[in-house]
Amino acid sequence: MSRSLKNSLTLLLKIAVTLLVSSPFYIAIIYSVKSKPEMVANRLAFPKVIHWDNFTRAIETSNFGLALKNSLVTTVVSVVIITLICTMASYIIARKNNWFYNGIYYLFIGAMIIPFQSIMTPLYIDMTKWKLLNTLHGFIMAKVGFQIAFTVLLVSGFVKSIPKELEESANIDGAGLYSTFFRIVFPLMKPIVMTSIILNSLNVWNDFQMSLTLLQQKAVRNIPLTQYFFFGENSIELGLAFALFILSIIPILMLYLMLQKYIIGGITSGAVKG
Amino acid sequence: MNQKTKKRLQEFTFVLPALIIFAIFVVYPFLQGFPISFTKWDGMSPVKKYVGFSNYIRIFQDTNVLNAIKNTLIFTAVTMVFSNIFGLIFALMISKKSKINNILRTCIFVPYCLSLVLSSYIWRYVYSDVFFDVFGIPSPLGSTVWVMFGLSVISIWRDTGYCMVVYIAAIQGVSKDYYEAAELEGATPWQKFKAITFPMIAPAVTANFTLLLAWGMKVFDYPMAATAGGPGRASETVAMLIYNNLFTYFKAGYGQAIAVVFTLAIFAVSTLVSKNLRAREVEI
Repeated sequence: MSRSLKNSLTLLLKIAVTLLVSSPFYIAIIYSVKSKPEMVANRLAFPKVIHWDNFTRAIETSNFGLALKNSLVTTVVSVVIITLICTMASYIIARKNNWFYNGIYYLFIGAMIIPFQSIMTPLYIDMTKWKLLNTLHGFIMAKVGFQIAFTVLLVSGFVKSIPKELEESANIDGAGLYSTFFRIVFPLMKPIVMTSIILNSLNVWNDFQMSLTLLQQKAVRNIPLTQYFFFGENSIELGLAFALFILSIIPILMLYLMLQKYIIGGITSGAVKG
Repeated sequence: MNQKTKKRLQEFTFVLPALIIFAIFVVYPFLQGFPISFTKWDGMSPVKKYVGFSNYIRIFQDTNVLNAIKNTLIFTAVTMVFSNIFGLIFALMISKKSKINNILRTCIFVPYCLSLVLSSYIWRYVYSDVFFDVFGIPSPLGSTVWVMFGLSVISIWRDTGYCMVVYIAAIQGVSKDYYEAAELEGATPWQKFKAITFPMIAPAVTANFTLLLAWGMKVFDYPMAATAGGPGRASETVAMLIYNNLFTYFKAGYGQAIAVVFTLAIFAVSTLVSKNLRAREVEI
């Protein structure tokens, strides 16, 4: 077989596989713009008329604005906190290789195994007691706590790959620990910071189980909860449900597309080596 | 205060915020879980009745627990193996840097951006409107035998992209010199994969298997959204069982005992698997 034929066959195969993986999205997109009668007549066919009405009605009936606001607030705030406190902690843990900081490191890593279920009941009780149940800030703090282990593991692996020389010369120039970290080390962490932003944003944005436990009132429902309850109430009006689904993917997809060029570099140096 | 102590304290302030939040929201509730597991308690009333080990003894006689363990293990094994196999195959296909490969990579990763709830809903309709209406294959989600496999497919679809990205990162880190040397010796692609790529990416294999194992054992969202644990209790997982004990059956004490045993089991299995995989890394 000639080389060019082989190459084009491989390319064709690659595209076919990717299309197969992407095919479920066809359903989501088609259903979101189909009117009810067309849905009954022929579900999988391409819609004759694009029925945008599904989107406007879904936004109104599901209270999408509120869910979007709750999801944005919880995701942005918790990811900022996670990024800040975990890069700082990982920096010291990776640089001070002594028994004390190693102990803290193993405490974090060990906790990665803890399933949410094993702290669910006590956390639920505590949050009620502390008046943090059904509040966004309560959810944010619990979510941050739960993402610390993973993020420290990811980031500290990366810190080890940053050469120490720059910090040492800053030290000689008399720069303090904080200014060394924020002016020199933190900018060098860019690839891992971007990776941790993507992975943590996905995790918080898509969280269902902790949300279901800690956000039980309508006023604090985030997007996954809205999806869950709206679908339960609208399984007959599929068009509405899928319009809501499409809307809810857009923000997180935009974030991913913006930051995706960092993700492979970040994972190489963080997750795999660490 | 002398200079050295001051510097040490300053260093400690770097880990302090993470440590405080972690202690309050993870360690403290985790420790509180142990006393709760020795009580009979509905989760609300102020009185907890101490019952010793009876919750723990009950776990081993409860067929619902056994059923949930079986379901969870099927899901874990299937998703762990296939997400990794597909992730690795895709990675090998599109690891080279090129414009078209970048686009394909993005497309394959996109399912990972969806919430598990949303993935479950989309696949409910893939199963009912495509599998059944077009091909006549009944939805696995309606079958007590196949439901866990049906849920596994959803998870594999979503997580393959993540596994792929980790493998691509690892493959791109392998030095080209090895491949050039192998080509001089006239090695076939399969030989190159077996002798160079696979051993060199062993740490990524360990990372992915351990992660997928942990995700699998904790699975909650897929059965909750796609089947609500049904048909009957055919897709109730351990995580769901614990959730139901608190919020549906009001048996918080018993649920907590299951959670404690569950945590120990996850700890044991993860340690065992990652030890085995790491030992293999050294062997090669």
